[in-house]
Amino acid sequence: MTVLTGLTAAFRRLSAPARAVVAVIVVFGFISPIYLALVNAFKSTPEIAASPAGLPLHATLDNLRTAWERPDHLIQSGLRNSLIVTVSTVVLVVPLAAALSFYLSRRSRRFQATALAVLATGLMIPPQVVLLPTIRILGWIGLDHSFAGLVLSNVSGGYLSFAVFVYAGFLRSVPDEIVEAAILDGASDLRVWWSIVMPLVRPATATVAIFLSLWTWNDFLNPLFILGPLTGQTITTGIYLTIGQYSVDYGQLFGIMFLAGIIPVIGYLALQKQFISGLTSGSGK
Amino acid sequence: MALDHRPARPPGTPDNSGGPGTAGSSRRGPAWLSATGRRRPNGLAVIAGVAALLYAGFILLPLGLSLASSLTDENPLKAESSFVGLDNYQHLFRDGRLLHSLAFTFALAAVVTLAANAVGLGLAVLLDRSSLPYRLMRTLAFLPQVLSGVIVGFIWRSVLTQNGLANALLMDAGIIREPIGWLGTPFMASLSIAIVMAWVLSGFTTVVYLAALQAVPRDLYEAATVDGAGAARRFRSITFPLLAPATTINVTICLITVLKLYDVITVVTGGGPASSTESTALYIVKVAFTQNQFGYSSAVAVLLLVVSTGVSLLVTSLLRRREVSL
Repeated sequence: MTVLTGLTAAFRRLSAPARAVVAVIVVFGFISPIYLALVNAFKSTPEIAASPAGLPLHATLDNLRTAWERPDHLIQSGLRNSLIVTVSTVVLVVPLAAALSFYLSRRSRRFQATALAVLATGLMIPPQVVLLPTIRILGWIGLDHSFAGLVLSNVSGGYLSFAVFVYAGFLRSVPDEIVEAAILDGASDLRVWWSIVMPLVRPATATVAIFLSLWTWNDFLNPLFILGPLTGQTITTGIYLTIGQYSVDYGQLFGIMFLAGIIPVIGYLALQKQFISGLTSGSGK
Repeated sequence: MALDHRPARPPGTPDNSGGPGTAGSSRRGPAWLSATGRRRPNGLAVIAGVAALLYAGFILLPLGLSLASSLTDENPLKAESSFVGLDNYQHLFRDGRLLHSLAFTFALAAVVTLAANAVGLGLAVLLDRSSLPYRLMRTLAFLPQVLSGVIVGFIWRSVLTQNGLANALLMDAGIIREPIGWLGTPFMASLSIAIVMAWVLSGFTTVVYLAALQAVPRDLYEAATVDGAGAARRFRSITFPLLAPATTINVTICLITVLKLYDVITVVTGGGPASSTESTALYIVKVAFTQNQFGYSSAVAVLLLVVSTGVSLLVTSLLRRREVSL
């Protein structure tokens, strides 16, 4: 507290350029691990050893090429599987959560509060707690060790809770009159939801889609155990199982990291406005 | 929107007038899903019902199964499992490895939550400007949150191993002569995990604190300045209290994240050396999938659920009270 007060006072006393220089140095120090991974993806292993922190003087794409041309197609199959799982999860969660949330918003306050309290459990539960029984339930319906099973468990758990809470927050800002008027005009609940409510809560859909994409893409525990070793791997489990136990040379390692990490980073840079507004609207999280 | 272009039911036909056999009947759900009783069950209720069923099937049912399994000696290698009452739960308190994992998990949660909030607040105060360079730096500061725990783990492992980048840079700069064993001893490995997780979560806390700072009404500062308050006083009396809701979000997210942490520890240390960085979440998975003690692992899972829910609720309600009292 005192330290922070002092810090603010100190920052205020700096001239604008001096403050910017301090900010650049601090932020650069903060993200230096990412900087190291990035520059070293473009250096040969001897150059990494000689100058681990320098910019690549003899920039090379060899690390990326080696990673891409691996005989086990680690990157290609991982990216493809992650894309399938992520898109399926988001495409299913969005309508399910939006419909449930709108349905609850039309029920009594008490019913809605009870349902949201039950759904809140899904946000709190550590996934390890339900992992084993989830695999057993998937086994009962013949979906254990399958991508369909992984998607089903993604769709049905904490992600659904998160999405329902985001929609519930946004639905409060939809005026009742609009919905009531449409129902008086004879539109079904389904139609009111899809044609009137969904366009009004588009920012909620953006928030849900962005965060669920990121979390599903980056998930590790569920794909590792629900898919198991033989079904095929997502990008996270693929790189873990391939290089987890063995030490590969740094050039290879950073080449793989670059190809595995670049898609979420590009997505984030392209959609950062929605990312930040989703985070800071205090939406349900 | 898409529905607008479909041939809908004849215009003017009220939704609740169709008798048996009308076009809409196939979309109807069971009567108990009916919205209010005066309107018929409809497509919306069916979709909502499917969502509720899925949630019940993959959150509530697994919770029930975990509870039930925790009362048995279930083991996938044995054909039969038998009811053992509370034996598993009694064993919890004699399981040194579990008790250590709990101590490690909560110490990690406390240290990481404190550090990530301190770093996030500091960075936010520094970056609280709206010109382009500062917006770019905010973008960069969030990057640790975008990369998966597996990638974060591998990057930090290559930084922290014995012949890794951190030691190479420190030795080049002449700061140390001997490489530091960042992951070599229980204490250093625990500290390293705490550093990595504080780093990951600082990306989150920075952005949330920054948004809270920028939402503070400027005229409050002006009024305070007119009244003769200095920069330090303005921060203490205006900014800091108005950050309380952001603190609630940040502390809650930090706690929940650390309590269920799996990927980063698995990649950076694998729980070692000598199980010193094994969190309870890691221990549950090891007991279940390596030792095949399904029953016992369920008991540990139930314990983690109860303890972590209790801690999260307690801390959140304490922080909320602080928001209200201001």
